[in-house]
Amino acid sequence: MTSIELENVSLVFRVRQQRRVALKDFIVNRMFSRSVNPYMHVRALSNINLTLREGDRLGIVGHNGAGKSTMLKMLAGIYPPTSGTRRVAGEVSSLFDLQLGFEPEASGWENIAYRGYLQGETPKSLKDKLEEIAAFSELGEFLHSPVRHYSSGMLVRLAFSVASAIDPEILLVDEVLSAADMAFLKKCRRRMEEMIDKARLIVMVNHDLDTIARFCNRVIWLDHGEIRRSGPTGEILAAYSEAMGDELPKAA
Amino acid sequence: MSRYVAAIWKCRYFWLSLVRMDLRTRYRRSVLGLGWSLLNPILMTAVMCVVFPRFLPIASVGEYAPMVLVGLCFWNFITSSTKLGTQCLFQGERYIRQYPAPIAIYPLRIALGSSFHFSVALLVVVLLRLSVIGFSGMSSFVSLVPTFLLIFVLGWSLAVLAGFLTAYFPDMEHLTDVGLQILFYGTPIIYPTDAIQGKLGWLIRLNPLTTFIELLRAPLLRGEFPDASLYGAAAISAAAIAGMAVMTLTRFEKKIIFQL
Repeated sequence: MTSIELENVSLVFRVRQQRRVALKDFIVNRMFSRSVNPYMHVRALSNINLTLREGDRLGIVGHNGAGKSTMLKMLAGIYPPTSGTRRVAGEVSSLFDLQLGFEPEASGWENIAYRGYLQGETPKSLKDKLEEIAAFSELGEFLHSPVRHYSSGMLVRLAFSVASAIDPEILLVDEVLSAADMAFLKKCRRRMEEMIDKARLIVMVNHDLDTIARFCNRVIWLDHGEIRRSGPTGEILAAYSEAMGDELPKAA
Repeated sequence: MSRYVAAIWKCRYFWLSLVRMDLRTRYRRSVLGLGWSLLNPILMTAVMCVVFPRFLPIASVGEYAPMVLVGLCFWNFITSSTKLGTQCLFQGERYIRQYPAPIAIYPLRIALGSSFHFSVALLVVVLLRLSVIGFSGMSSFVSLVPTFLLIFVLGWSLAVLAGFLTAYFPDMEHLTDVGLQILFYGTPIIYPTDAIQGKLGWLIRLNPLTTFIELLRAPLLRGEFPDASLYGAAAISAAAIAGMAVMTLTRFEKKIIFQL
């Protein structure tokens, strides 16, 4: 059984004013017990309580900087919660930061293998999928050249093809396809629908409320790192678009 | 701990393929490929052989050359583990940001690459030794197996520490260069361990790296099994630094994402 439970989860980024302190400065300042580079605390998520069971499809909405992507990364285990507990049962697969995670010097084929292995494939299991991944990406001969020559659209194609070749238990999806062209986007949507059908638990972030309405049975509305509202899709989306409509000048 | 090791094992295909890629790009970059990286210690040794026997109480170049070559090969392993180690987490950032794989695999990638190099270099040392000194005492080469394992642990730990320190302190890269420079002369690489006596000699014998070099030199140069006490000392040093690396990992593994 897959499940996700968050209990009073908060995530605080400790951002330094300078990026990093030199060791020399660190030692000297310690000697005089001064702090030259104080932390600034940024509360990215606060007091999140959430229980998801097998079969749930959760959509997250909210304006930019509300903590949506941070929430996904925390669910994926990349950001540890500063306080509270996170319990996840099931194998997590994620679709975010797709353009990241390539070895620029290696060819497309090699990068397919690296990403596949990182997602838990073995040479044997990957062998069966390789042709399909390559075909889906439609990159053809380009797969033989180093990834550093790829355009961002090509990178998205490659990344999505690999990432979507798995059968996920828990699937976390951020808005990943912005660089893809129309034709590929359509294909991706279809593929994503298949994945969503297969996955046992889904959390997705999307600014397109239609997409959320189509796929999700539950929605949470994040506002400054807090859950402003949570409930069935129709209700929350209605409330959210109403609030957005008030804040934005009405489009003609 | 066992769960952590299991997680490392689970993504073994991932880091193994990265190591393979590293080696390929490293060798592809130069015309001579593998030869170039071997040529470096050999040329260094040749230069040393011209200069140093004039100052040091050494019987012959035939005796000096294999000794220096062993030292330089080991030293190259230490520097490459440390220097590449400083970059290992930045290199792995693109994966760290996407998948919660164990952080230990990124230093492991460095240590494995450097070890491959080191073993090829050792092969050259063995060939030189067989041609210069002969085939006597070859059975003692068996002792190189545990020695190699200890050195591997040392390299991985150095890469872990260098990686984490650099992620927190940007000047670490520069400081490692300086530190390695000093350590080069404080370690009996280009001179035999007993060449320096007195207080300084005592200090040099305290240097943990000295024990590892002695472990290599005993079988390779003299055809002797190294003393058990030497193994004990090396094991303690390796365990101590590995302990530091493991502690760093447990403490900072989860937090490192905020530093990248």
